Amino acid sequence: MVERIEDLNLPNAVIARLIKEALPEGSNVSKEARAAIAKAASVFAIFVTSSSTALAHKQNHKTITAKDILQTLNDLDFESFVPLLSQDLEVYRKMIKDKKESKANSKKDASTGDAATSSSNTFADAIEMVTEA
Amino acid sequence: MASEELFQNDYSEEPELEQDVEQLAERDERENEVEKEKGKTNGSTVTNEETRHTATNGNKAAEQDHEAKLTQLPMGRVRNIMRLDPDLQIASNEAVFAVTRAVELFIESLARESFTYTVQAKKKTMQKRDVDMAISAVDSLLFLDGALNF
Repeated sequence: MVERIEDLNLPNAVIARLIKEALPEGSNVSKEARAAIAKAASVFAIFVTSSSTALAHKQNHKTITAKDILQTLNDLDFESFVPLLSQDLEVYRKMIKDKKESKANSKKDASTGDAATSSSNTFADAIEMVTEA
Repeated sequence: MASEELFQNDYSEEPELEQDVEQLAERDERENEVEKEKGKTNGSTVTNEETRHTATNGNKAAEQDHEAKLTQLPMGRVRNIMRLDPDLQIASNEAVFAVTRAVELFIESLARESFTYTVQAKKKTMQKRDVDMAISAVDSLLFLDGALNF
C-alpha cells in the first residue's frame, strides 16, 4: 500500500501548474503559499472522503460511489464543483466503456485471426450473421 | 458571499475551457517538455518524483496515460490519501476520479480566492498570508482552520 510517507503528498509540479492556470498571467506564487495550498488540497481530499464514508454508512452501503461524492460536495457548500464534475464523470464513464469495448474487440480479432481453420471461420461467420440480424 | 464568487469564477471559465481544450492540451505538452528539459539540466527533484511515481504504477502505465487526459493529479495518489480514512471500506474507481477532479477544482478556486488578497495588497506574488486570509474569509473553508499550522 503506502510505502513512503511522501506517497501521500500530491505532486508539487502538478499543484504548481494547477495554481498557475487559475491565476492571471504574470502573477507569482511564493513557495510557502504553494505548500499551504498543497496541504489544504490533501486535507480537502480527506475531508470529502470521510464525509462521503459517513454518508454511505448511513445508507448501509460499503462502497462509496461518485454519487456519494457529489452529494457530499453539495452538503459541504462546494456545490459549485458539481456541474463540471458531473460532466467530467460522464466523459470518464464513456472512456472506461470505450476502453473495455476496444479490449474485447481486440481479443475477438486476435482469436479469429489466429484460427484460420474452416470450423472457426464458420463460427465467426455465424456470429457475424447473428449480430447483423 | 465569497463562496459565490468561487462559483461565478468556475462558470465564467467553463466556456473558455471548452473552446481551448486543444490549446490547453498543447500547452500542457509544451510545459511537460520544458519540465523534462529542466530535469535534464538541473536534475530537478520534481521530475525525479514524477518518474518514481510512474515507476511505482508501472503496471498500469497505459491506464495512467489514458486518465492523464482527464485528471492532472495522479488518481493512485489520491486513492492512497482516501485510504487514510479508517472507516473507508471500498471506494469505486468513479469515486476516486470524482475526488481527484474535486481536489483539482479546489486547488484552482483556493488559488483564485487567495489571489484576491494578493491583489488587495498590491502585490504580484501570492504569500502564505493571502491563503490564510482566504481560508478565514470563506465559510466552506472552515474545515481547514488550524489544519495548516503544523
